Amino acid sequence: MNSSIIRYILGNVMRMEACFLLLPCIVSLVYGEGVGLYYLGTAIVCLAFGVVMAWKKPKNYVFYLKEGCIATSLSWIVMSLVGCMPFWISGEIPSFTDAMFETVSGFTTTGASILTNVEALSHTALFWRSFTHWIGGMGVLVFLLAIIPLSGGSNINLMRAESPGPSVGKLVPKMKYTARILYIIYFGMTILEFIFLIIGKMPVFDSICTAVGTAGTGGFGVKNDSLGSYSPYLQWVVAIFMILFGVNFNAYYYIIYRHFKKAFKMEEVRCYFAIILIATAIIFANILDHCVSIFDALTKSVFQVASLITSTGFSSTDFNLWPQICRTVLVLIMFIGACAGSTGGGIKVSRVIVLFKTMIKELHSYIHPKSIRKVNLDGKPVEHEIVRSINVYIVTFVIIFASSVFMVAFDGKDLVTNFTAVLTTINNMGPGLAEVGPAGNFSNFSVFSKFVFMFDMLAGRLELFPLLILFHPSAWKDLISKRAEARKF
Amino acid sequence: MSKQKKPAGGLNIIIVGCGKVGTTLVEQLVKEGHDITIVDKNAKKIQELSSLYDIMGIVGNGASFSVQQDAGIENADLIIAVTESDELNLLCCTLAKRVAKCSAIARVRTPDYSKEIVYLREKLGLAMVINPELEASREASRILCLPTALEVNTFANGQAELIKYKIPEGNPLVGTTIAELSRKTATSLLICVVEREGEIYIPSGDFTMKKNDVISFCTQRNFSRTFFEDLSVKTNQVKNTMIIGGGKAAYYLAKRLIGMGINVKIIENDRQRCEDLSVLLPKAIIINGDGTDEELLREEGIEYAESFVALTGIDEENILLTLHARQVSNAKTITKINRINFKDVISRLDLGSVVYPRYITSEAIIAYVRAKNESGDSNIETLYHLFDHRVEAIEFKVDQESEVTGTPLQALDLKRHLLVAFINRNGKIIIPSGQDTIERGDTVMVVTTHTGFNDITDILK
Repeated sequence: MNSSIIRYILGNVMRMEACFLLLPCIVSLVYGEGVGLYYLGTAIVCLAFGVVMAWKKPKNYVFYLKEGCIATSLSWIVMSLVGCMPFWISGEIPSFTDAMFETVSGFTTTGASILTNVEALSHTALFWRSFTHWIGGMGVLVFLLAIIPLSGGSNINLMRAESPGPSVGKLVPKMKYTARILYIIYFGMTILEFIFLIIGKMPVFDSICTAVGTAGTGGFGVKNDSLGSYSPYLQWVVAIFMILFGVNFNAYYYIIYRHFKKAFKMEEVRCYFAIILIATAIIFANILDHCVSIFDALTKSVFQVASLITSTGFSSTDFNLWPQICRTVLVLIMFIGACAGSTGGGIKVSRVIVLFKTMIKELHSYIHPKSIRKVNLDGKPVEHEIVRSINVYIVTFVIIFASSVFMVAFDGKDLVTNFTAVLTTINNMGPGLAEVGPAGNFSNFSVFSKFVFMFDMLAGRLELFPLLILFHPSAWKDLISKRAEARKF
Repeated sequence: MSKQKKPAGGLNIIIVGCGKVGTTLVEQLVKEGHDITIVDKNAKKIQELSSLYDIMGIVGNGASFSVQQDAGIENADLIIAVTESDELNLLCCTLAKRVAKCSAIARVRTPDYSKEIVYLREKLGLAMVINPELEASREASRILCLPTALEVNTFANGQAELIKYKIPEGNPLVGTTIAELSRKTATSLLICVVEREGEIYIPSGDFTMKKNDVISFCTQRNFSRTFFEDLSVKTNQVKNTMIIGGGKAAYYLAKRLIGMGINVKIIENDRQRCEDLSVLLPKAIIINGDGTDEELLREEGIEYAESFVALTGIDEENILLTLHARQVSNAKTITKINRINFKDVISRLDLGSVVYPRYITSEAIIAYVRAKNESGDSNIETLYHLFDHRVEAIEFKVDQESEVTGTPLQALDLKRHLLVAFINRNGKIIIPSGQDTIERGDTVMVVTTHTGFNDITDILK
């Protein structure tokens, strides 16, 4: 176990977070808010820690999947701990658990909140809350890879642990450039959305927060009713960008380099759009009676489907009050989630496709027991290893899901609340149904339940295993004993 | 990354086939900072390599157009085809040449094609055709010509040689400094590298040699023999050789050795192959039998063999065979090692000379890539990695005037751990002293522990 590289990566993550923390300081300068000092203070302490930790370069830059996973999970935990400090110290969120919950929810792009009155927060806090989405959306380690020269092939292990999806594909041979391309696309699209929002006369501050919130498919709003009070034009812009941020970023890379055919042939992306279409159609048909006009119904249905399938979690209306069929469809698409390789959460469309095809294959083998058939995706056979890992993923998902529902049930809330609360946190969605619906929030849960939710959010964002590895005893044994480091190789 | 922009300092290289040579190439070229995409049919292999190195992997048949497109052939600078099959390699390169403006290197090793290699290369427009087995057999035959040497590398079209030699006990070199060397021998030579107890030295004049040092010296062709005579070391070319294993490398080697008048005995297990060999090599003695059978080896006179070459396909077997041969005879031994990576373990064994076909080829390719990458005024002709990649010997062609030309070497501000080993001026090899100069049109060999030299001016501080 190469524990010095983990220390080095953590140090770099902290240094970077210190830089990110300077952005809310700027916001506080603009609005003349005193709370900026708390952010500056946190940034300085964080930077000091980061510099000390990354001071000594590791002897050996080679590391494996194990170290990659541990480094990634620890980074996310450390990031959340640091990120919640300003909320807590400044007293804007008085309880530590709540501050931590809010930050984890931000970084994991969940958007679930414990705040009853968002509008009471300072601009600085609102900005930082939304900006955590942007950092967490594409992943902080991917960002690290883009700017810090971690030589060698080992760095794919970081990407593997952090990027959503069953398998990681590079766009160009070098990790550094792959990470850069991803961030350039990400940044470019965020700016684009910001411009469209400005055109729609949204205030600049709201536009920035909404744009970064959409980009990370996060879902923290700056208003109590999320996006409900904005004009239909703005809602459409946000809806379309939510859908776009839920697309596999490889598709954009293909489009930029004019491989249109390849981009449009991506099975996952096609499926993703098909699901959106079907879900929207069903909901549209069923909420027509509840809405003032056809256009209003269309806006609302598209917006909610986009918001929930991409796991963003903005709301334009209280969909908790919609007919049962609509609520059911929404819960179902929450499970599916966005495309792999996007900023969205959920199980991921590509996993669902593979699972579905595996099922058909299994059925086929009942009819022709000796037949050989491979699961295909994009016309290429999917390796058995990947199919296996997807199956295990789903099983693990169900186990974590079920045990979480059990653990939060002690709070005595109704089943719909508990079920959707776990669903919405593990899939990094934001709002659920009933008490945790768009109009409600998570403040009424007990401290214990909140920690369960935090775990679910992190597990969901890091796709379960990188976080679970922290609970494997040997991970710690190796980390603590210096045996491995004493030997050179 | 895009058509216009290229990450600084790296070429876009596609490597088709991830076997032994492919893997070695990936390892070496990644170190040199190029952008590498690998293509192989075996998904597992791709996965393994791409999690080990910073490269992109594509699963598929490298000769198919769509796979080549996936691998980004339009932006590639170089495609290297090193799959199992010669035909596939050639097809792959031919296709790539048609669709993109890239150079192509193919591995072709079947004797059927290798005879026509020049023709193939020209007609198909390939930059280079590599044949690891042939190269390995060349190296082995050079060693057999000069059995005292551990390794013989040639430069300047064979005009100059870099020879590795282990100083035995009682040798006149023991206790001699480099500066005193000229008194012991009339031959003009330069000791470039000394390895002592695992440490590498680029020696200066006051360096004293000890027994068991491995020295690497550079001299004009055929002068090495006189040098060894001055040291009163036996250096005659071997008279007979025993080759275990009858693969392609054995065929190439036997053919060369027979041409040099050396008696060749090949022991091969496969009867069909034996029959083929006996047709191809009528002058050789072909024995059908298990080369690892001690009894058979004794019967065939291993005790009296002057040289022994282990060329089976299994590295472990080769090592054991060599160790056995060294025990029972005084033969000069050469071991071919193809696959295994434990180089430091191997170098500690008393194996005599060892040839690594995959390194020989990858070095030729790296030399080509470095020369291609450099738009400057000089080109790399040959490149050798010596002493487990810790030392590079590079031959530069000096096409233009620069800071290094026209100034006496002693006046140049050269980097540390670096030697100018020889200057080749119109075919004449000059072993330089401080007064010599590098001129335009020369080829110059530099021996250094630095890596990544692209240009002759890199030798300056």
